[in-house]
Amino acid sequence: MPNIFQRQLRDFDWVLFLLAVLIAMAGLISIYSTTLQQEGLLERNYFVRQIAWFLIGIVLIFGMAFIPKKLVFNLAYIMYGFGILALLGTFLVEDTNGTYRWFRIGGFNFQPSEYMKIVVVITLAKYFSDHHRQIQQFKQLIPPLLMVLLPTAIVILQPDLGTALVYIATLILVLFWSGIRPLYFFLLLAPVISMLAAFNIFTFFVWMAILVLVLYIGQSKLWFAGINFFLNVFLGGLTNFLWGMLKPYQQQRISSLFNLDADPLGAGYQLIQSMTAFGSGGMFGKGLGQGTQTHLKFLPEQHTDFIMTVLGEELGFVAVILVLALFLFFTLRLISIAYSARTRYTSLILFGTASVFLFHIFVNLAMIVGLMPVTGIPLPFMSYGGSFMSTCFLLLGISQNSLSGNRV
Amino acid sequence: MLQDRNVLEYWRKLTAYLITLILFAILGGRYYWLMIASHQKYAEKATSNHIREVPIEAPRGIIYDRTGRILADNRPSYSVNVIPIEIRRHPETLTLLADVLNTTEEELSKTVKRYQRGMFTAVKIRSKVSIDIISVLQEHNLELIGVTYAIEPTRFYPTDVQLTHVLGYVREIDAEDLKRLDRETYAPGDVVGWKGVEKYYESHLRGERGYRYNVVNAFGQEIGESDWRKPIRPVAGNNLHLSIDADIQRIVEQGMGDSSGVVVILNHANGDVVAMASVPGYDLDVMSSRLEPEVWRKLLTDRRKPLYDRALQGLYPPGSTFKIVAAAYALEHNTVDPEKTVLCRGSYRLGTRSFGCWNPAGHGRVDLETAIEQSCNIYFYHLIQDIGLDPWAGLAGQFGFGRITGIDLPDEKAGIVPDTRYMDREFGVRGWTIGNLLNFVVGQGEVLATPIQMAQYAAIIAQKGTLYKPHLLKYVTDGEGRMVHTYSNTAHTILQLADTTWKQLHRGMNLVVQSQKGTGRAARQKNWSLYGKTGTSQNPHGEDHAWFIGFSLDPKLPYSWAILLENGGSGGGKAAPLMGKMLREIAKLKRPKG
Repeated sequence: MPNIFQRQLRDFDWVLFLLAVLIAMAGLISIYSTTLQQEGLLERNYFVRQIAWFLIGIVLIFGMAFIPKKLVFNLAYIMYGFGILALLGTFLVEDTNGTYRWFRIGGFNFQPSEYMKIVVVITLAKYFSDHHRQIQQFKQLIPPLLMVLLPTAIVILQPDLGTALVYIATLILVLFWSGIRPLYFFLLLAPVISMLAAFNIFTFFVWMAILVLVLYIGQSKLWFAGINFFLNVFLGGLTNFLWGMLKPYQQQRISSLFNLDADPLGAGYQLIQSMTAFGSGGMFGKGLGQGTQTHLKFLPEQHTDFIMTVLGEELGFVAVILVLALFLFFTLRLISIAYSARTRYTSLILFGTASVFLFHIFVNLAMIVGLMPVTGIPLPFMSYGGSFMSTCFLLLGISQNSLSGNRV
Repeated sequence: MLQDRNVLEYWRKLTAYLITLILFAILGGRYYWLMIASHQKYAEKATSNHIREVPIEAPRGIIYDRTGRILADNRPSYSVNVIPIEIRRHPETLTLLADVLNTTEEELSKTVKRYQRGMFTAVKIRSKVSIDIISVLQEHNLELIGVTYAIEPTRFYPTDVQLTHVLGYVREIDAEDLKRLDRETYAPGDVVGWKGVEKYYESHLRGERGYRYNVVNAFGQEIGESDWRKPIRPVAGNNLHLSIDADIQRIVEQGMGDSSGVVVILNHANGDVVAMASVPGYDLDVMSSRLEPEVWRKLLTDRRKPLYDRALQGLYPPGSTFKIVAAAYALEHNTVDPEKTVLCRGSYRLGTRSFGCWNPAGHGRVDLETAIEQSCNIYFYHLIQDIGLDPWAGLAGQFGFGRITGIDLPDEKAGIVPDTRYMDREFGVRGWTIGNLLNFVVGQGEVLATPIQMAQYAAIIAQKGTLYKPHLLKYVTDGEGRMVHTYSNTAHTILQLADTTWKQLHRGMNLVVQSQKGTGRAARQKNWSLYGKTGTSQNPHGEDHAWFIGFSLDPKLPYSWAILLENGGSGGGKAAPLMGKMLREIAKLKRPKG
């Protein structure tokens, strides 16, 4: 037995593990505070439940360490297939609030789109390590694109815009890391920028000029440049159409970002309350359990998406910066070992993991202070929720798994 | 393949690092801006978010009569309030509330708008709510988000005297009224003295509103009092002690019965207003809460004008009571020999016009004393021509006419004493004649006076030209009964005439009551010698107004009075007997002196 432990954990990155545990602790403290006035059964208590999920997460990490890396690698596409089926399965039963995000197995609620985040990372890593010699050809980029766009489309229909954006962001960042030509990377990124730029006609024209310039400098063939150009113009035009497709609450969330006080009781409410919580926290906060915004329930979603707000209000700027630093070190550590990893597969898994986390961290911490629309992206290791907590630990577990045998 | 080597360009790592650092720098900057740079602003916002300021109304000062009986008190009553922001969040609350309060949603939102003081402060939408309604509302507490109840002191009048116009009433000011008031001191929904002493002594009576700070959760439910923001206790207003004698006031009010008119009784020895009734009055109780528009409309359109304070604002021709002015002038300046007689045949001819005496049969030969006693017009028609308009008007002014008495009540009117300048201005230099003078001398024509001036006039004669200004307030105490302010009335000699003049005037006025032929003989009392003068003033709107002014020189009953019966008929026939009846009852009262 000690032998197996030694062999399997030889390459285990304890720094990453320790950072994750510390972040989770900060989350537990915050959740503890929100539950101070919660009444009812112990098993319904968020804090108790979150501790359980945390312990399960620890078990998952070490559990993953004992699975052969090769097995994960080889089963990647099969896991992908199951993931897609599970995503489609959510449409069989409608959730209570009219969405199709959840999947019930026995007494457990299971959110396939969360696990799909891991599957996307693994699938992309496998594809790009299998095909790394051919990826200088543009057509080799089509399969991974489709592999990510399929779950993205399904998730949008659920509808869960936030998670869809996670897949897209992961794809973009992994593409960058896979070593493709900068021009291709740019051209793959271009449609996203085109759609965003289309909100303002002036920005759109400037962006189109940049696109043409890059195509010219990149010495593309005329037909290739033409297709790209018209595709981007088309997608820009599509923006208006898609904006109309968004649910009103999604539109409101985006527009409320630009004018918080226009509707203080509606879409802007969460943001106003959240920013008030942070701002009133000051340097050292109001003390654990003393947050008026938190405990008088002004703060919505306080134990899930807005968990950092609780910390900010009650423990202040010092605590917020401390947690930010932990997240920063965690992300940089992942990038750093991804760069120095021995194999492409390990490198891509680690960078994919870093991408998923970075996206979650930034979008969550930006949206709760009004820098981004409220999209329902939770904060890794801190937000309450079983599916998400175990996703975070599983991702970290896959990374640790990929590291085994990293040192010869 | 799984074992493919990782060969990545260094710049990719650098770019990844850079992007990560930029993103975290953005976050760090934003959090610094929010939590450190804008801390002050958001700290205040968080406080106003969850601390709800609940006003505690201060009780107004209590108003006592001279013997310490309570005229106006406070009684706790329930009020129903709403928090505007919660109403906006939960419009269904108003629907339910309208149902319980038996009104419409529109009415309620109109009220909220009128009295609103910001989104977070409770607005009173109904006062004097019965406990039954409160308990119904309590039952539906959970559906009525943003509805609060308060116990507030409201005016309550525990006596059987009306004193309508003396006490006046309070009212809640709305956004409209605020334009006319001091914005520093008042806010919509504040109770403010609107009439009478409630208005005049507003600064004394008004207490200081207190506040309670309640913690409110995001659903607008009050959880309890804030433990760091201490409540501010309300400070009760100061108490007024008035010169009014409730017993005498009651006699006067009951004596007036259904007639319209005024009775003012002054203590000429110190200026106290002992009783003052302008009838009809109205029930102050209906005014003590927010007035129902219908009640208000009824009061406004009442033909007997109960809202009108006749004692201070009613302008009436004083009639024959005014003859004393000319008599005083004649005596003082020896204009005529008081013994000299004039023949009264019941009418007097001036040029082509005929001026009548009230007694068409004529009084025969009358001297000054008899002319006062029997109120002979003809005598005074002669007399005024020897005096002239301006000397007469000047003396009338010294008797307090044509200017306010300065009693401690709001909105007093000055009346008119016409002189040459006035007449020239009003009618043109050639627009008036000596004929007008004949009217003036008997208190008709342009001469107009208020009942309070008439009572003061009687007091001036009683005190031989020395006057204590009519005054209602005696002293002010605070909530603990400590003396805050004492009013000390001082006598002013406002009219210096020879003692013989005063004596002859007194004699003449004494005869009015005491002699068999005196016009005021109906007021005569057993063992109590009175001085008086009747007046019957014609008015174009109907029956004559009946006046009787007078005084008593009995040091135990140092009263001067004026009674006016609007369209009551003759002074001697109606006003004097009624006053006599009241005085009889007053004399029977056991009163400590003072």
